[in-house]
Amino acid sequence: MKPDGVAAQAEPSDLDLVRGIKSGDEDAFEQMVERYHARVYSLSYGVLRNAEDAEEATQDTFLTLYRKIGTFDETKKFFSWFYRVALNQAYSRARRRKPGTAVAIDDFLPKFASDGHLASPELPDWSASVEDEVIARELAARAGEFIADLPPAYRDVIWMYDVEEMATSDIADTLEISIPALKSRLHRARLYVRQRLADISRGPAQAEAR
Amino acid sequence: MTDWTCRQVILDLLIEYEDGTMAGLDRSDFERHIDMCPPCVRFLTTYRATGKTLKLLKPEEIPSDLARSVLAFVQSRAGRKA
Repeated sequence: MKPDGVAAQAEPSDLDLVRGIKSGDEDAFEQMVERYHARVYSLSYGVLRNAEDAEEATQDTFLTLYRKIGTFDETKKFFSWFYRVALNQAYSRARRRKPGTAVAIDDFLPKFASDGHLASPELPDWSASVEDEVIARELAARAGEFIADLPPAYRDVIWMYDVEEMATSDIADTLEISIPALKSRLHRARLYVRQRLADISRGPAQAEAR
Repeated sequence: MTDWTCRQVILDLLIEYEDGTMAGLDRSDFERHIDMCPPCVRFLTTYRATGKTLKLLKPEEIPSDLARSVLAFVQSRAGRKA
């Protein structure tokens, strides 16, 4: 509800706010923070898996926005540019914390016999266990750790699509990749996470035997 | 009508089936394979369960004073007015 005496106004677009910030309008910057701080935090959290680091990465991201807004090309989508800034901030922080630990994704893709059949059909079918909220949250926490081990090209896509539920075209714009490349990475990242969840659902012996 | 292998179903076709971009005839062939292949049924249900699990990963809480802390940080570093 609007306060008394305040006429209904259309929300300024991202571009309106960008132009405001470029011209030194402090209120425009505050509105931009209000509009995007939660999404930037969530994206940073996806990379860093830690609330304190995600908050600091969010602060750095908005500082970069404030300082570098002059370099933004107004013919492009603002949030794609801004998400790239946010991802770069988060990765730079992640590299300082834990350098070079990406997993070999091919080691966790399904294996097939020469005739094309699945090589080792898995039992049991653990999919029903996610109906239990406690188990589902435990699996989600492990999935977050598994995603964190992925090379960034895969980690970004699966986080934006499956966790943030961003539109395909927005992700492709942000990461500057084609839709087929996006789908290919998304699928491989999902196959990897699925396999790792299957391994822990089968028990430690099978997971370690891989 | 095409007889696809598990490899094709899982590696090449599954994502387009799931995101709804697969053509109708291909969908029929895909579903025919799934109907006859219990391992692929399990694979499909666990693939879907993976997607469902991932939706729980979003941070449950955004720090309540985050917007204020961002503004204070930028003000201190960039010399914004208030």
